[in-house]
Amino acid sequence: MSIWPEEALVQLPNESSFETVDMTINVGPQHPATHGVFRMALKVDGEVVVDCEPYIGYLHRGLEKLTENHDYRQSMGWWDRTDYLAGLCCEGAYCMAVEKLAGIDVPERAEYIRVMLMELSRINSHFMFLGAFGADVGSFGTSFIYAWRERERIYDLLEEVAGDRMFPTYFKIGGVTMDLPENYEPRMREVLGHIRQGLEDLDGLLTGNEIFVERCRGLAPLSAEHAVNLGVTGPLLRATGLPWDVRKAEPYSIYDRLDFEIPVGRQGDIFDRYFVRLAEMYQSVRIIEQCLDGMPTGLVLNPSLPKTLRIADAECYLRTEGTKGEYSIYAMAKGGTTPYRMKLRSPSFCNLSALREMVVGSYVADAVIILGSLDIVLGEVDK
Amino acid sequence: MSTTSDSRFAFVPRRQDPDVALAAALRSAAGGIPVEIGETKTDVDVRVAPEHLPRLVQVLTEHADLAFDFLRNVVAIDMGPVDGLAAKYHLYSFRHGHAVQLTVLTPPGNPHIPSLTSFYAAADWHEREAAEMVGLVFDGHPDLKNLLLEEDLRIHPLLKSHPLQKVEILQGIEEGPPGFKF
Repeated sequence: MSIWPEEALVQLPNESSFETVDMTINVGPQHPATHGVFRMALKVDGEVVVDCEPYIGYLHRGLEKLTENHDYRQSMGWWDRTDYLAGLCCEGAYCMAVEKLAGIDVPERAEYIRVMLMELSRINSHFMFLGAFGADVGSFGTSFIYAWRERERIYDLLEEVAGDRMFPTYFKIGGVTMDLPENYEPRMREVLGHIRQGLEDLDGLLTGNEIFVERCRGLAPLSAEHAVNLGVTGPLLRATGLPWDVRKAEPYSIYDRLDFEIPVGRQGDIFDRYFVRLAEMYQSVRIIEQCLDGMPTGLVLNPSLPKTLRIADAECYLRTEGTKGEYSIYAMAKGGTTPYRMKLRSPSFCNLSALREMVVGSYVADAVIILGSLDIVLGEVDK
Repeated sequence: MSTTSDSRFAFVPRRQDPDVALAAALRSAAGGIPVEIGETKTDVDVRVAPEHLPRLVQVLTEHADLAFDFLRNVVAIDMGPVDGLAAKYHLYSFRHGHAVQLTVLTPPGNPHIPSLTSFYAAADWHEREAAEMVGLVFDGHPDLKNLLLEEDLRIHPLLKSHPLQKVEILQGIEEGPPGFKF
């Protein structure tokens, strides 16, 4: 005998009326876990993601249109704002693309300076990954602060050499803007020592950490064949076991003279992606040391360049290894002082297009870590 | 962690220069497909008509000596009112370590190209970007909606006829070129 009136009992929901329909959750665009201005719509069934639709373009600045409408030298400032964590890698790619189009030679000393600073930028960008990824996984501020300590040292050194921290516009078509300061070598070696120490600290903090390993091991694994078909490059591809790095496979600048190795993973899961980046940073330190040892003397800028650069009919597709993967530039000239077309093949863009394949089937809580493991830079995704 | 190389992907390092031997191999592999082989500063360039593109890509992916398994880039270019729109595809083979560029020119007024999404999953976003930037239409693409631009924006900013100062023209600060309408 119920104490409730009969009508109320009828209105009580029975078992069959609790339908477990899929729910759509919007993540971003303004959220620390999205690493920039990025939005994804997750369709979830309980805790499991059944569909994921990424939305990009919030940072689209019309880089390619601007480049088409400006002088070859004027565009430099926009290109280092693509991958803004490693501006010098982007400047290097842009300069090399224009030099390839026009057939401009670069003095050897400038090549060494460029490679040295590009590798320093790579370390800088990977430190950002280690710090932010540690925060994603759960070591809230610790890894971030450890990574930031080293990043500040690198930025100070970049400021001493190039005059600016993030966007130095230091490389120039035909070389670099100015020679290195007098005390750069002891300063660089001092910073490299700090970097090695910082890497060991982060390695000790994260690699053996049981919580970290349990969270990352076996999550969102990618096979090499699948990764290739999805167009994934960089540390993500190397984590699958494929030792492909543009610096080795299609060498540019002076990379074929340097001695370094390509670290690879085994399963392509998130832990491998983390570990490949960590191992890569030690290799970058090795490259910088070789550049310091073998630094030639001489000019840093090709002296025979015209004041206004005009390039006759030509096209090229210049590949470089950016910090996130294959950072390449397609360039086409048709006479005149501006390029006819310049297209950036941005590694973050291509890696992000594979996000859906990795996220579907995982838990909502893991979706954030999977996104973090891609190490995207939205400036590069959105151009 | 190991640094040993994988036998499935035994590529050789190559400088970024056009490969003469590859050009000859491409010519013989193309067989009856009409192609024009040239070169750029970095790659062998294969020019093909839009209707022959899927057949050519089929050969390029399946031929054992070519094995182009990686679509690394798609570029959309406005070649002007006479030549129409063009798409350039950059392919790479992990097995052999060689690269090729495919050039597909569409006639003015008919910017249709068959989609490559059935060959490469990577083609999805590249084709969406190319479609919104110059207005190419990739037949067979599952969902050719805007990617970088807003969903409802129906402009093609990388067309040469699209002025740089679009925002200023919309706001009435600058005047657009004569005859230009949004």
